[in-house]
Amino acid sequence: MDLSPRPADPAPALGGGRPQSLWSDAWRRLRRNRAAAAAAMILITISLVSIAAPWLPRLADPTTQNLALGATPPTAAHWFGTDELGRDTLARVIHGGRISLLVGLIATIVSLIIGVSYGAISGYAGGKLDEFLMRVVDILYSLPYIFLVILLLVFFSRSLIMLFVALGLVQWLTMARIVRGQVLSIKHQNFVEAARALGAGDRAIIFRHIVPNTLGPVIVYTTLTVPAVILQEAFLSFLGLGVQPPNASWGTLVSDGARVLALFPWLVIFPGIALSLTLLCFNFLGDGLRDALDPQDRSDVA
Amino acid sequence: MTRHLFRALLPLAFLAGACAPAPPGGARLAATSEQYFGDVTPPHDDTFTYNNGTEPETFDPGLAVGQPDGRVARTIFEGLTVPDPQTLEPRPGQAYRWEMSADGLSYVFHLRPGLVWSNGSPLSARDFQWSWLRVLRPATAARYAGLLYAIENAEAYNKGTLADSNRVGVHAVDDSTLVVRLHAPTAYFLFLTQFYTYLPVPRWVVERYGDRWTRPEHIVSNGPFLLDFWRQQNRFEFVKNPRYWNAGAVRLDRIVAYSVEELNTSTNLYKAGVFDWNPSGYIPSQFIPYLRHYKDYRHGDYQGVYFYSINVTRKPFDNVWVRRALTYAVDREAIANDLLKGSREPWGNFTPTGYPGYDHPPGITYDPEKARECLRRAGYPDGSGFPRISILFNTSEDHRRIAEAIQAMWRDVLHIEVELSNQEWGSYLQATTALQYDVARRSWIGDYLDPNTFLGCLISGDGNNRTGWSNPRYDALLRQASVEVRPEKRMALLREAEALLLDESPIIPIYHYSTNELVKPYVRGLYRTALDTHPLTGVWIDRDWRRHEAPLAGTATERP
Amino acid sequence: MDTVNFVTRRLLMMIPTLWVIATLTFFMMRLAPGGPFLAERDIPVAAKEQLMRKYGLDLPLGRQYLRFLGNTVRFDFGPSYKFPQRQVSEIIREAFPVSAELGAWALLLAILLGVPIGVIAALRQNTPVDYASMAAALIGVSVPNFVLGPVLVLGFSLTVFLFPPALWQGWQSRVLPVLTLSAAYIAYIARLTRAGMLEVLRQDFIRTAMAKGLPDRMVVFKHALKLGILPVVSFLGPAAARIVTGSIVIETIFAIPGLGRHLVNGAFNRDYTLVLGVVLFYAVFLMVLNLVVDVAYTRLDPRVELK
Repeated sequence: MDLSPRPADPAPALGGGRPQSLWSDAWRRLRRNRAAAAAAMILITISLVSIAAPWLPRLADPTTQNLALGATPPTAAHWFGTDELGRDTLARVIHGGRISLLVGLIATIVSLIIGVSYGAISGYAGGKLDEFLMRVVDILYSLPYIFLVILLLVFFSRSLIMLFVALGLVQWLTMARIVRGQVLSIKHQNFVEAARALGAGDRAIIFRHIVPNTLGPVIVYTTLTVPAVILQEAFLSFLGLGVQPPNASWGTLVSDGARVLALFPWLVIFPGIALSLTLLCFNFLGDGLRDALDPQDRSDVA
Repeated sequence: MTRHLFRALLPLAFLAGACAPAPPGGARLAATSEQYFGDVTPPHDDTFTYNNGTEPETFDPGLAVGQPDGRVARTIFEGLTVPDPQTLEPRPGQAYRWEMSADGLSYVFHLRPGLVWSNGSPLSARDFQWSWLRVLRPATAARYAGLLYAIENAEAYNKGTLADSNRVGVHAVDDSTLVVRLHAPTAYFLFLTQFYTYLPVPRWVVERYGDRWTRPEHIVSNGPFLLDFWRQQNRFEFVKNPRYWNAGAVRLDRIVAYSVEELNTSTNLYKAGVFDWNPSGYIPSQFIPYLRHYKDYRHGDYQGVYFYSINVTRKPFDNVWVRRALTYAVDREAIANDLLKGSREPWGNFTPTGYPGYDHPPGITYDPEKARECLRRAGYPDGSGFPRISILFNTSEDHRRIAEAIQAMWRDVLHIEVELSNQEWGSYLQATTALQYDVARRSWIGDYLDPNTFLGCLISGDGNNRTGWSNPRYDALLRQASVEVRPEKRMALLREAEALLLDESPIIPIYHYSTNELVKPYVRGLYRTALDTHPLTGVWIDRDWRRHEAPLAGTATERP
Repeated sequence: MDTVNFVTRRLLMMIPTLWVIATLTFFMMRLAPGGPFLAERDIPVAAKEQLMRKYGLDLPLGRQYLRFLGNTVRFDFGPSYKFPQRQVSEIIREAFPVSAELGAWALLLAILLGVPIGVIAALRQNTPVDYASMAAALIGVSVPNFVLGPVLVLGFSLTVFLFPPALWQGWQSRVLPVLTLSAAYIAYIARLTRAGMLEVLRQDFIRTAMAKGLPDRMVVFKHALKLGILPVVSFLGPAAARIVTGSIVIETIFAIPGLGRHLVNGAFNRDYTLVLGVVLFYAVFLMVLNLVVDVAYTRLDPRVELK
C-alpha cells in the first residue's frame, strides 16, 4: 500500500491469545444490537424460504404459464400477481431468491478464497514480495473493473459459473488488503513466534495460526460483500447479461419489472422489496458485526 | 418498503420541485387531451422531431442496411423514382419519365433537366451509373449489393468473376438518359429504383474523403433535405435543401431525428411531447393494448415475419417429421393474441400478406394432435427418447418471453425437454451463421413488395438461409420463377415453392409483424405504409389541427 | 520521498499496467465468438473479405496484435468498425465529456448532501436524527439505479411535467439523471462521513477541546471535520470508477450520448477498435484520478507520507 492509514485499512489485530472470550463477547454485543439481530432473523427466514422453495406446499411452479391470464395485479390466488406469461410472481420471487443468494454467496466465497490467500501471503512474506503484491492490488483498484466483467460475460458463455467467477474477481481486492493488514500486525505476536519455534512450516503458520486470527474483519467484510455482489448481478441483468431464462434472479425480475413500471407496478414492487430488504439486512448485519467484533474500528463502512 | 422508498425519495422530490421554476424547453406543457397519448401542443415552427431509433451504422446510401440508416439516407438523397407516401408506388423523382421495353428487359430513364447537387454542381445520368457500379464494385463491400443483381452482369461483377464494368447493364448514354438492361424481367425493378442502395452519391466527395464523406462537413446530397448536424447516439438535424427540384413542395424547415434505442425512453419522450413521431418498433409491446384507444396510435400490417429456424444439419432435425411436430405444436394465436396482446398477427406462412397478385398457400395452424402424431412417426412416441434441444435467441425481453412460451408449448404438447439459450447479438449472429444451434429465433423484413424477397432466402447455400436446408425442387421452382415473364405463372411457381417450404418445415412461422406507431395529430402527410417507409418530403405541421380534427379522425387525408 | 518522485513512479507503473490491460482485452475480443462484420442479413463473401483486408483482420493474429500495440503507442486506434466514418479517438472526445459531466455533477451533489448529513448524524449520534438518516442512507444503497431512474421519470416527467424524461439538452434534462446516479453516493458518503467524524470526535484531544467551551468549539470542529472527511477523500478514487459503471445504466435509461453506452454496444457489436480504445482510455483516466486523490490525501492529512 502506498498510503497509510486508509479507510479500508484493517483494525488493530484482534488479540490472538484469548479467542474464546472474544467470540463470546462479540456474540453478546451482537445480540444486544436489535437492528442487527432483526436483520439476521430476516435473512435467515429469507434464506430458509428460498432453500425450501421447491418443497413449499401450495407454492405455484415458477415456470407454469397461463398466457390467456397474462399480467394480473395481486389476487387471492396470486398474492403477488402474475407476469405477462401468467406466471405466479410470488413463486418467481421466491425462486429468484435462490439464484440471487447463490450468486451472492458463491461469488463472495470466490473473492474470499482469492483475497484471503493473497493478503495472507503478502502480509506474511513481507519485504519486496509484499510491496510488489500490494502494488499490483493498487493498480487493479484503479481499473474499470466492471468493463472487464462485461467483456468476460459478453464474450464467453454466460453460465452461472462464469458469473460467479466474474463477480468474485471484482471483490477480492479489498479483502486482500484487509487480510494483509491483519497479518502484518499478528505475525510478530507471541503465539506465532511460538509456533515457528516449534518448527511449524510457513504454510501451516499462515493457514493454521494467522488466517484464523484475521476472521473478525473478514467476516464483517464478507457480510458487506454479499449485498454488493447481489447488486452487481442485478446490474448485469439490466444489461441482459444475468442468469439464463427461464431462471430469473431478483435482478432479472426487478430490471424487467422496471421497464413496465407504469403498467404492472407489482412486477417491480415485490421483487424490489425482496432485493432491497435483503441488501438492507446484510448491511445492518455487517454494521452490527463490526460493532460487535471490533468496537474500535469504525472506519470502513462499505 | 414502498413507504420507506417514498420517504427516501421525499427529499429528492423537494429538491426537484425547488429548482424547477420553468417548464423544460423540450417538453411542451399542458394541452394533454384524453383522446391523445400525452402532450399535443404543436411546435411553434415548422420543425418535425422524431425518433430515428438505433444509431445508424452508416447513412452512405450504397452501404446502408438497417431501417434507421435508410431513413436518414432517404431524407437527404433522392433516386430515379420516389415512393408514393401512401401506396409506395414508384413516382417520378430525379427521373421524370421512363420506358420499359416489351420484353421487360430494358428500361430507359429520362432525368429532369437542370438537376443539381446541394453544392450547385450539375447531377447527370453518369452520377447514377457511377453510384450503382460503386455499390457493385467488390472493394466497396456493400452488403446490399444483391439488390442490384437484377441488372445484367451485376452479380458477376460484384462477385469478381467479371472485371469489366462496361458489361454491367447500366449506361448513361448522355447527361440525362440512363439505360438499364436486366438479366431477366423483374416485376419489381421500378420499385427498387427508389430503394436506398440505388440512390446517387457525389463521386468527387466520395473519392476525396473515403469513409468519411458522409460527415456533415463534407457531405453533398440531392434530396429534399440536407444534413446540418450530427451527434452520434444523440441526433441528426436536417434542413430544407433550397436546390432540390421540388423545393416548393417541401413544407418543413427542419427535421430533428433522435437516436434513442430504449423503447420505454422513446415512448416517454413521445408522451412528453418531445417527439412528434414514435415510429414502429419503438413502443414496448406491453404498452400497445393501452395505446389502442388513443387517436394518435396507428396500427397495421408490416412486411415482416417472425419465425424460428431449425438447423436441419443436426439430429434429430434432419427428420422432416420432427420439424413438422415442432411447427404444429406452436400455438401462434396464444403468442400473438395473449402474450403480445394483439400487437402482432398470428401467422403460419413464410411470406407476409400484401403482395399484389400473390395467393398464399394454406399456412400452418396449431394442431396438438397432429404434432404428436408427427413426433410418433418420427420415432419418438410421446416424446420418449427425444434429445434435449435448445432455443437460441438474442437478448431482448420480447424474444425471451416468446421463447419461454414456446418452451412451455413444446413441453406440454410434445413432452420434450427444451432449454433456452440467450446470447448477445454478436454471439447469436455467429451461432446462426455457422449453424451452431438447434432452433433459433429469426425474423425477416421484406425489401420490396414481392414474395421473392422472402423465398429467395431459403435457396440452397444462400447466406440468409442459415438452416442448412437444401431442396433441389425448391431451388428449381425459384429459378424458373426468376425468368418467368407472365406474372400469374410466376406467382403460381412461387406459391408452389412456399407450399413445399412449409411442408418441409425448416422454418416455423410464428407471427406477422405489424407497424405500431404514435403520430401527433398535428403531423400531416405522414402515412402508414406496407413497408413502414415514410417519405418525409410532404410532411407538414398543422398548427391549426384542432379545427381540422373531426374530418381527419381515423385515417388522415391530405389537406392543402 | 517527495511528491514529484512519487508521481513519476506511479506514472511509470501505468505503462506495464496498460500493456497488460490492452493485451488482455485484445485477446479476449479475438477469442470471442462472432466478428464485427456479421449481420442479421448476410454479407456477400467477397464483401466480407474486402472488409477484413481493409482493417487488416486477414493478417495472422500475432501481426495484428503487434500492429495494434504500435498504433496504441501512437494513440491511434483507427476508425470504429461499426461506424467507419468516425475515428475511435473522435468518438471518445465527443462522448467522454458528457459522461464526465454527468459523473461530476453526481459526485458533487453526493458530497454536498452526503457530507452534511453524515456530520449531523455523527454529532447527534444515537438520536432519532442519526437513525433516520442512516436508515435512509442504507435504503439509498439498496435500491438499484435502474429502478430509481424509471420511478423518478414516472413521477417528475410523466405524471407532473417538471423535467424531460430523457436526453441531454439544457439543464432541465440534467436533473433526473444526476439525481438517479448520485442517490447511492449520497448515501454512501453520508455513511463514510459519519464513521470518520465519530472516530475523530472520540479522540481525547478533541473531547477535551470541545469541552472547553464555545469560542474554541468552531475551530476544533473545523479541525475535526478536516480529519473526519478523509475517508470520503480516499473514496473519491474508487467512486469515480463506480460512477462510470453507474453511468452505463443512466446513459441507457436517459438516452445520454456518453461513453458508457459506447463500451457496452461496442462489446455487443464486436467493434474491436472502439472497445479497446474506450477500455484503455478509461484505465488511464481512472489511474490518473486515483493518483490525484492520493496526492490530495497527503495534503489534507499531514500524518500520511507518500511512499
